[in-house]
Amino acid sequence: MALSKEELKEKILEKAMKAAKPQLYVKDFYKCDPETKPRAIKNAANELVKEGKMTFWSSGSTTMYAAKGRAKDEEGEGGI
Amino acid sequence: MSKHDTPLLDELESGPWPSFVTDMKRQAEKKPEVWDILGQLELSFKDKITHWKHGGIVGVFGYGGGIVGRYSDVPDKFPGVEHFHTVRINQPASKYYSTENLRALMDLWEKYGSGMTNMHGSTGDMVLLGTRTENLEPLFWDLTHDLKQDLGGSGSNLRTPSCCLGKSRCEWACYDTQETCYHLTMHYQDEIHRPAFPYKFKFKFSGCPNDCVASIARSDIAVIGTWKDDIRIDQAAVKEYVAGNYPSNAGAHAGGDWGAFDIEKEVIGLCPTGCMSMNGDELVIDNAECTRCMHCLNVMPRALRPGKEQGASICVGAKAPILDGAQFATLIVPFMKVSADNEFEELIDFIEKVWDWWMEVGKNRERVGETMQRIGLPTFINVMELDPLPQHVKEPRSNPYVFWKEEEVGGWDRDIKEFRKRNAM
Ligand code: HEM
Ligand code: HEM
Ligand code: SF4
Ligand code: SF4
Repeated sequence: MALSKEELKEKILEKAMKAAKPQLYVKDFYKCDPETKPRAIKNAANELVKEGKMTFWSSGSTTMYAAKGRAKDEEGEGGI
Repeated sequence: MSKHDTPLLDELESGPWPSFVTDMKRQAEKKPEVWDILGQLELSFKDKITHWKHGGIVGVFGYGGGIVGRYSDVPDKFPGVEHFHTVRINQPASKYYSTENLRALMDLWEKYGSGMTNMHGSTGDMVLLGTRTENLEPLFWDLTHDLKQDLGGSGSNLRTPSCCLGKSRCEWACYDTQETCYHLTMHYQDEIHRPAFPYKFKFKFSGCPNDCVASIARSDIAVIGTWKDDIRIDQAAVKEYVAGNYPSNAGAHAGGDWGAFDIEKEVIGLCPTGCMSMNGDELVIDNAECTRCMHCLNVMPRALRPGKEQGASICVGAKAPILDGAQFATLIVPFMKVSADNEFEELIDFIEKVWDWWMEVGKNRERVGETMQRIGLPTFINVMELDPLPQHVKEPRSNPYVFWKEEEVGGWDRDIKEFRKRNAM
């Protein structure tokens, strides 16, 4: 059975804290619950940003997610 | 901020054309940070490398898009562009502005930013170039509260949808592009303002195959107006064109000396499918062969009009050349009714089917057109729950097996010895 939204959010946050790289693609969270549709996983990750537990990191063309405080400092990175 | 020496950039003012360097020097009189853009650009010309860094966590509260973080990598030399973020503003449908609105936008940007703009970015948004992080929230407040306008999309968001003039001015429009664009923009506000996908996603709406917003080259889903029945012909008007009484192309080429209008040479001979002919002085079109290229309608707008049974063709998968090279969108649905009567239900169902598949199967930073190319059109058509159609076939007979699946033919691998027992060489 698919995880509840709160359980899913917990797993996403845990992954974002523990992953070797601080910035993750939304696809990296799909594995948190293979039974939940990608769009629902995206919504859960976006809710965590709204709650201030994660932040977006955008290159301008792609947006990634990072646990609050783990994102590379805002003076930024190269890339497209 | 001091003026910098810019001998290389100054060369760009020496030609006969208007120069952005001249414009920026003028703007620098009002906004001194613009000297630092010129200085940094001069340095880039010398070093042959960009000195912009982009990316980061800047944005406005509650949104995950619309602002693109941008910083100088030589801020000590050019403090005016230490932060130089880009702001995207959702353009009105078909880019109709009142001068009052344009003035208000420019006042806002003089107040909070560099005053420099890019009208418009290739997605369609109005692009405001250059502001500091601390100006973003006040700018956003004024934009949304005083001007009642909103940011557009960036990053992995749905990008700001855009449309042609459509029914507001153009009699060729086969569906209401503005209404469709507005409806979908409102319907997908969450996807526009927050990341929704593994990468960017765009839709664009053109009312006819002239495709004035170049949707077929620039959007993941291109909705292009078309008709099903016959081109409407006014034979009396055809005769007026032949007699030279109506100017061809509505007079658009009247400046040159092209000689007398020749319907054989300029219309019939240029029809890409060769489906037009004259029967005496009557124009005949074999509509079953017509590909709706618009050529004949463009040349003789008073004589020819799109048919009455109107809708749109849906093409999927265009992109610019970052990875494999540029690619046009592929025709997937030859004809779909696009109408506000059912709140664009058919189109929305189609869009979401594409999203569900692409989010699952697409790789990070892979546009849907690249996923289609990697997985193959037969699979894509199957996932979209469509039947293969002649219109999906680019050229006949190059591979007769293209629509068969492995399980339908008992596997691709055969035991050749077993086969030869029954079928001698
Ligand atoms: C007036 C006489 C003929 C007409 C109008 C005619 C017409 C055609 C047409 C329309 C095709 C299909 C082409 C395509 O699929 O792209 C075709 C294919 C073919 N025809 Fe004919 N044909 C004629 C005589 C012949 C004769 C006399 C032969 C053999 C002795 C022949 C052998 C073939 C073959 C082998 C193909 C298949 C070609 C391929 O697979 O690419 N045809 N023909
Ligand atoms: C031992 C004798 C023959 C062998 C081994 C042979 C083999 C083949 C093979 C392997 C193909 C390709 C099939 C495909 O790609 O689908 C082919 C096609 C063809 N063969 Fe033969 N063939 C032989 C005799 C003949 C003869 C005697 C004729 C005519 C009188 C002929 C006419 C054709 C034609 C017209 C095609 C094209 C069919 C199409 O495009 O649909 N073949 N043959
Ligand atoms: S795309 Fe067609 S309908 Fe739209 S403005 Fe251009 S010519 Fe007119
Ligand atoms: S629209 Fe194009 S293909 Fe169709 S009849 Fe006119 S010129 Fe020919």
